[in-house]
Order: sequence, then structure tokens, then C-alpha cells
Amino acid sequence: MNWFDFLLRNRSEVLARSVEHLGLVAASMGIALLIGLPLGIALVRREQAQRWVLGAANIVQTIPSLALFGFLIPVPWIGGVGASTAIVALALYALLPILRNTCTGIAGVDPAVIEAARGMGMTERQLLWQVQLPLAAPVLLAGIRVATVISIGVATIAAAIGAGGLGVFIFRGVAMVNNQVILAGAIPAALLAVVVDLSLGAFQRSLAQR
Amino acid sequence: MSRHARSGCKKSFALQYGLLRAIAIFACFIVAFFSTGCGQHSGDKIVVGSKNFTEQIVLAELFAQQIEAHSALRVERRVNLGGTMICQQALVAGKIDLYPEYTGTALTAVLNDPPQNDPSAVFQRVQQEYRARFGVEVLPPLGFNNTFALVVRGEDALKLHLRTISDIASDAPHWRAGFGYEFMERPDGYRGWVAAYHLQFASEPKILDLGLLYRALADRQVDIVAGNSTDGVIAALGMVVLQDDRHYFPPYEAVPLVRRSTLDRHPEVRKALAALTGKISEEEMRRLNLAVDGGYRDPADVVREFRSAKKF
Amino acid sequence: MPSVVELSDGLQNGYVLQTRGLTYRLPAGATLVSDLTLSVGKGETLVLLGRSGSGKTTTLKLINRLLEPSEGEILVSGRSTASWDPIQLRRGIGYVIQDTGLFPHWTVEKNVALVPKLERWSSKRIRARVIEMLELVGLPPAEFARRRPSELSGGQKQRVGVARALAADPPILLMDEPFAALDPVTRAELQREFRSLATRLEKTIVFVTHDVREALLLGTRIALLDRGRLIGTYSPQEFLDSTEPHVRAFVASLQAVEGLDQMQ
Repeated sequence: MNWFDFLLRNRSEVLARSVEHLGLVAASMGIALLIGLPLGIALVRREQAQRWVLGAANIVQTIPSLALFGFLIPVPWIGGVGASTAIVALALYALLPILRNTCTGIAGVDPAVIEAARGMGMTERQLLWQVQLPLAAPVLLAGIRVATVISIGVATIAAAIGAGGLGVFIFRGVAMVNNQVILAGAIPAALLAVVVDLSLGAFQRSLAQR
Repeated sequence: MSRHARSGCKKSFALQYGLLRAIAIFACFIVAFFSTGCGQHSGDKIVVGSKNFTEQIVLAELFAQQIEAHSALRVERRVNLGGTMICQQALVAGKIDLYPEYTGTALTAVLNDPPQNDPSAVFQRVQQEYRARFGVEVLPPLGFNNTFALVVRGEDALKLHLRTISDIASDAPHWRAGFGYEFMERPDGYRGWVAAYHLQFASEPKILDLGLLYRALADRQVDIVAGNSTDGVIAALGMVVLQDDRHYFPPYEAVPLVRRSTLDRHPEVRKALAALTGKISEEEMRRLNLAVDGGYRDPADVVREFRSAKKF
Repeated sequence: MPSVVELSDGLQNGYVLQTRGLTYRLPAGATLVSDLTLSVGKGETLVLLGRSGSGKTTTLKLINRLLEPSEGEILVSGRSTASWDPIQLRRGIGYVIQDTGLFPHWTVEKNVALVPKLERWSSKRIRARVIEMLELVGLPPAEFARRRPSELSGGQKQRVGVARALAADPPILLMDEPFAALDPVTRAELQREFRSLATRLEKTIVFVTHDVREALLLGTRIALLDRGRLIGTYSPQEFLDSTEPHVRAFVASLQAVEGLDQMQ
């Protein structure tokens, strides 16, 4: 029996785990965006703070996920055992590319455009929403794309904290020394990453063409 | 730990197992190729092997120091070999003279027998087969059993008077359990266990990575976990292992495996190791593991202190 | 807080835009503009002339409060602008810069409609105004309204920049070297058109340049700046006749290029 037969015979669980997996990624990306975008915007003109925050996000990136789970278990509200801890950890990992691309994307907008917008009497809010964000959008989206693809890969580790997802097959397969089971998790996860990357890439191109 | 110790005991793993064996044999060639003490070494040198996790390394060191103390033999340590198969092949080929093994692992992973529950039956079967098939002597058990262990917080054990697994039957319905993937999947794991003890929990068990289980237990995220009985953290965190009073879990008693020819040439080795028979409790093994893993200490120092304390 | 209309009403008599003792210092201490007192009347084009770093651009930014003065004040129709809402003030002051600063993600039409839209004009009125403005700067709306800035030449972009600055009919227009980056032929063309536009529209214009030829051509008066200080204010003829050394240096540079006689 090869892994493909295994996949076919367990397709309902593979499907359910894939949905669970995407749910974890979507929830964590949502949180990372809700935090990362405003924070990145707030940091654009504060270079000192930006260095600190990006440095911190960089350090978070290097914490192994099992260690991060360990830290998070005792934290009230967001921690514990299950999906919430996994989502928090995934969101923390996604924060760096989102923050960095928000900062560089907005900082990369032509200063003459900003000067003209201010000089014409746009408020800071109008400047942000009508000029800076639309012009930074391709760079922003590139960051979101990278963060999402990374998240799909990293989300397999969510199974270590009882949050489900395709990682369940991987952990199960490792525990049972069964490569078919490992592949039943790893291959759909890789496919998901490729599909999401391609579709976000297409979206990014369509945005750039406009 | 027992992940390494007990692999390939389900029939459907046969194919995988064949592949593993092929890899193991190949790895043995490599080990053999780079070994300095190749072939049937004669003279006064003994080679002690071990698998690649802390408890095995500690036990190998214990064997080595014991032989050094009770004979004039020179002992070479060849620890951290990659798993059961490699140790087994190295032993049969004479690249190592002895290594620590667990009876349940020998039975299921090496002899391909189904799991059995009676410790002495398992021991006898393993001893007979090893002698006949491999020319290897299985010396008497060291005293501890490294098997699945159901662990609860010490305060709960005290408050609720929990000593055995049977004691938890009335509390389990409002408990949350946290188990590893291996415990959930193995034939001698979760399903059979709840059936044997007629247990029911408040919810489906949380399935966590082994390393996170104790943390979740300590932080009251779960109320009972399945670890390995010699895990050092059990003692460190003041947790209690519940006795398997219905003998559900197959025995994984630690034993020294020694080549017959080595014992014939150097009978003093048997004598030196006999001093260890039945002398190491699970509690003691846990403390040794913790000293190395948690205390970041050199296994040789830890073993030296242990030997002088126990007057081996 | 005065609206654009109030601002317009207040510009009827006398000098409409004045600076009094205007000074701007960087936090580090360097003084970019020092004790500058100027006045510009309605229908007048005051050219701020000076070399790079003489404080011309800084002065413009102080006028529309992109920068806040360290000392001194700016008066519109005799009233200090310090207490006004800077956003509202800027919407009443047209602003054209060298790099145009057109929004690359918007069409020409949308770019020109910027300030009317910010001022919440009706869409019908905005559309009519955009067409009027594009015609005013010589860009046929049918051809250009839907284009993006990337589909325009440098001269066309600057025309859009002017149209955008004039769209809400501001009484004051600030222009920061608007033609400096254009090729000589296009520049001459735009300068010519600007001159007739300025006469027709009766705006109060402050025009920054480092090009003495442009200053003489477009300015009703020329204010010469040097290292943040005002050297003097001259009519074009006074400028050519002056014996002031800084002025002589500029006039000499003109002579070197094409000969004083021709200019006169």
C-alpha cells in the first residue's frame, strides 16, 4: 500500500484535517494582520521603535515552536492546551514578515507623492488610506503571501499541542514509525502551501497591473 | 524514551519493519567499517554499547564502571548507536560485547512476537530465543520497568488517595486527560487501557507532544498524562506514577544483553553485572535520568556517585 | 476657522500674503530661514530666487504649514495663520512641486479632482471642474482624463499638477520649481502658458526657482534669498539694474549664457 492509497482510504479524515489546518492558518493570519498592519503603520516614522519591535519579532521567529508552546501553556486566556495556543504561536511567527513589509512598503512610497498629498490638505488618515496603503499594497501583499505559506508549513506543529490539523498525521506517523501516515499529512500540507502561494501570487500580479 | 525502545510491534508494520531492518543493516556496515575494534577482538578489551537516549547511555556507563571496578579488563564505550536494530546487529556481529535492552522490546521488535503481559514469561522466552538464535545471554533484570506510566499531580494523589490506576475510576469522569500520539496509536496503548480499567473521561483526551505533557499536567490544563515510567521530570515535578495493578502494560524490564563468547572468556563480567540484579528501582532510574537531562551533568560522574552510594 | 470662501473674501484689499520675521531653525540648530519679511499682493507673482540651500523651499513649506516657524508669523489678509487649522489652510493654497507628486494609482481625472473631493463638492460639479481645468492647462479631457500619470510625458504631468493645484480655485498658489525638471523646449512652452494664466487668474502666487531667466520672465517681483536671508525685493528691471553683489552674481550668470543685451 502506498501513501496515495492510504490517502484515498482516509480521504474524509484528510479532508477534515485539511479544513482544520486552513482554519488554524486563517485564524492566526487574521490576528497577525490585525496586530501587524496597525503596528507596522505606527512604526513607519518611528525608526528607533521600529528597530526594537522588528528585533523582538526576529527573536520570536527563532524560538522553536515546542518551546513557545511550553511558554504559552500557563498563560491565561490565550494559552492552555489546544487551538488557542497554536493560533497564538502561529500568529507570532507570521508577525515578522507582515511587520517588516508594512514598514518597508509604506516607507517606499515616493516622498514627492506624500509631500503633494499633505500640501494639498489631506489629513494623515486620508493620506494613509488613500495614498500610502494603496501604493504599499504590492509589498504588503508579498509579506502576507510569505507569512501565509510559512504558516501552512509551521501549522503542522499545532498537532503537538492538541490543536489538530494535518500535523496529526505527521505526529501519528512518527509515533508509529509509519511513513505512509507521515506522508498523508506532509503531502496535503505541501499541496496547500503551493496552491495558496500560487493564488496569492496571481492576486498580487493582478493588483500590480491595475 | 520508549519510543526508541519499542518500535515495530504491530503486524501491519511488517513492510516498514523490513525497510528499517535494511537500513539498520546498512548502518551496521558503516559502524563496522569505521570501528577500530573490528572483528572478534580477543584479549582483555570489552566493548559496551547503547542506544541513543539518556537512560541507555547512563546504563552503559554503569555497566562499564562496574566491569572496570570488578575486573582487570579494559572497557571501551561505544554509546549513542542509532536504535534497537543497530545495537542488535552490532552485538550479533561481535562489534560490541554487551548493551542494555528492555525485555518487551526484545520480544516484539527483535523476535517479532506479539506483546505479552507476564514479566517472567517474557523474560524466559527472550532468554531462550536469544541464547538459541544469537548466542547472546540475557542477564537477570536490573529491577526497573520502562513502560507507559500514568502520571498524576502529587497533590491530587495525596488528596484523593490515588495509588493504582484502579483508584482513579471514580474521579476520571470529571478529569481531562492528555496523551501523546504514541500512547493513542499503539496496540498496547490507550484503547486497550480504558477497556481494561473501564475508564471514562470528561472529554476526548487532548493529544499533545510528549515533551509538553508534563507541563500541561503541572499547569492544570489536564489531570492525568501518559509518560514513560523512568522520565526524570516525574520526580522533579513531584508527580506520582500510578501502579498498573491489573498488569495491562507489557513488561519492559531493563536487562543487560551479553555475548555468550564474551562471558565464556571473561566470567568476571557476569559476576560484575550480577551485582546490579534487581538493584535499580524506577525511582532511582528517574533520578539518574534527571541528573543528566535536567542537571546537565556528565553521565560518568552521575554513575560514579550512584555506585558509591549503592556500594556496588 | 475660515473656509476657502472666507479666505477668498479676505483677499480683496492690499497685500494678501505676508511673512513677518519668519525664522526656521532645525532642532539640531542650523537656521534655514532667518527673519524673512515679505508681502505678495493679489494678481502678483513673487519669485523666490536663490541658490540651492538658500531657504526657498523651506519658506514655501512654512507658508502652507508643512513646517511650523520657529519665530515670526504668516499673515493672510492681515490675520495670522498660526491659529488656523493647517488642513483647511492648505486646501485654500494651491501647491505645485518639481516632482509633481501625482498619485500614480489614480487617473488624471481623479488626481485633478483631489481637493474638490476633499472639500466634498458634488460629483457633478467636480466633473465639470475637472474638464474646465484640463482644458485650461491644454490637455484635451477626452484624451487625458482616463490616463494614469505613468502614461504622460514630463510636461503633461506638470500640467496636471497645475490643474490639480487650481482645481478648488484657491486664492494663493505656491510653486516649487515646477518646470525645473523639464527639457528646455517644454519648459519654455509651459513658462509662456503660465505667464498668461497668471495674468488671467489673478491669483496670489509665490514661485520658487534657482533659474534667474525664469525669475525675470515670470515674476512681477523677485525676492533674492541667500543662506536663509532676504537680500532684497526687486522688480525685474530693478533686478537687472541693481549693484548689489549677490544680484550682480546672478545677472552675470545670465550674461554668460546668452548675453545681457538680448534680455533687455
